[in-house]
Amino acid sequence: MRPSTRYEPPEVPEPEGGWLAALGREGVETGRVWGSALGLMVAAILTAFSPGKAAARAVRKVTFAQIFFTGAQGLPFVTATAIVLGATMMLQMRVAAPGLPGEIVGKVLATVVLRELAPLVTAIIVASRSGTAIATEIGNMQASLELLGLSSMGIDAARFVILPRLLAVVVSVVVLMVYFGLVALLGAFGLAAVFGAPQLSAMRAGLADTLALSDLLLFAVKGVGCGALVAVVCCHYGMQVNGSSTEVPLMTGKAVIRAVLGCVLYNFAVTLLFYSVLGTPSAHM
Amino acid sequence: MADGLVLRNVTFRRGHVTVLAGQSLMVPRGGTLLVTGANGVGKSSLIQLTAGLLFPDEGEVQINGISPASVGPAALVNAGIRRAFVFQQGGLVANLSALQNVALPLRYHADTLGLAEEVIEQRARFCLGAVGIEGAQIHTLPGRLSFGIAKRVAFARAMAIEPNYAFFDDPDAGLDRENAQVVEDILTSYRDDPAVTLVLVSNHRALIERLAVSVHELFDGRLVRLELGTLPPSSLV
Repeated sequence: MRPSTRYEPPEVPEPEGGWLAALGREGVETGRVWGSALGLMVAAILTAFSPGKAAARAVRKVTFAQIFFTGAQGLPFVTATAIVLGATMMLQMRVAAPGLPGEIVGKVLATVVLRELAPLVTAIIVASRSGTAIATEIGNMQASLELLGLSSMGIDAARFVILPRLLAVVVSVVVLMVYFGLVALLGAFGLAAVFGAPQLSAMRAGLADTLALSDLLLFAVKGVGCGALVAVVCCHYGMQVNGSSTEVPLMTGKAVIRAVLGCVLYNFAVTLLFYSVLGTPSAHM
Repeated sequence: MADGLVLRNVTFRRGHVTVLAGQSLMVPRGGTLLVTGANGVGKSSLIQLTAGLLFPDEGEVQINGISPASVGPAALVNAGIRRAFVFQQGGLVANLSALQNVALPLRYHADTLGLAEEVIEQRARFCLGAVGIEGAQIHTLPGRLSFGIAKRVAFARAMAIEPNYAFFDDPDAGLDRENAQVVEDILTSYRDDPAVTLVLVSNHRALIERLAVSVHELFDGRLVRLELGTLPPSSLV
């Protein structure tokens, strides 16, 4: 019989124990990762209270360098993304609902751009820029025995390597998040002005009316949470490299995917909690 | 508190290799433990275990009566245990220059060691000079240094802390004759120093003969002490 020249895609084998079991295994693995990452975060935070002024000085120096890499160097990319995203939001509203009152437009900008997009997009940008850098750097440090070398010199990696990155990412995400929100609003209002939207003052009023002091708390909770999540998950996966540099890209990929997924879920959970505590969106708006 | 290095009923596995199976050993303060053995038996894991960088699956490792598994690395320095470790390769901080690498442990523990900044810089330069590294090389990142020079930087870093526990994993591997001689001189000075407990693994006959201490052979998870002057024939080069 002539062999068929038609490409037959290989059958995807059903995972051992079925898809439900595979889902369960993934759940267990996710739980294990979060547990381990949380442990790493607690260990790093506790080292902040360790004695040694000289060690604290060294850690501060690394922290400032990390804030520069994560925060300051991330500014151009955050600026560009925020301005375009804000303008896109405004464009969509102008196209989809041209008659929408300016006040409602302002409220939508406040809820969607400030409360949701700013924290989430900032966290995703930081995860993709600095999260990959952190996972790769720590992975390479593991592979080249740098972390063992530090330990041999009496330097705790949790204090000297993890803590500065954790602090830097948290500070950077919070600051960049606020900056992102402001620049995105600038983009939205800028586009509205360019297209001659007649209701700029109504938009401003709607925006001001929606925002409350509690939004500062929401920003802080989302910023600190997403920052910590990105930092510890990326540090955790970097630490999982076990002696071979070929594991580094693998772990970096896993780190970023899990960090972004974690931020999306965390963002949703905090929003849900925010409205369940402060009332429904309509009541709050 | 027992001065020295103690392994008590230690079992340690790495992957499929049983590095140690219920082994006990004592190296007194100022003593020397020299381990040899065939490739792949776990000599590097063993020396990392004795230095408290890896922790046993069973049993206990103690340095001056302190178990590194139960305290952080800085606590050992605070307790007066200054470890120096030279890896077979690697171990230097990639984003620090040779000088910064050597000064790192001194800066980090400056208050515990009572060192002023000028002394740190001076000592780091002196140690680099002692292994023949001077000029532009001291400001070079490890990745841009040759294997032999990077290894000498690691030696300088080990010397800078003025260790009372010194661990060397295959110390003269990859060095030319002249630099191997420098390394041998450092090792013999540590061997003769009653304040330094020296642990090293090597398969180099010349180095082992020069050090002239009793040798343990790591084989099948056991540490077998060989008589002075008798060396295992097969695994040495």
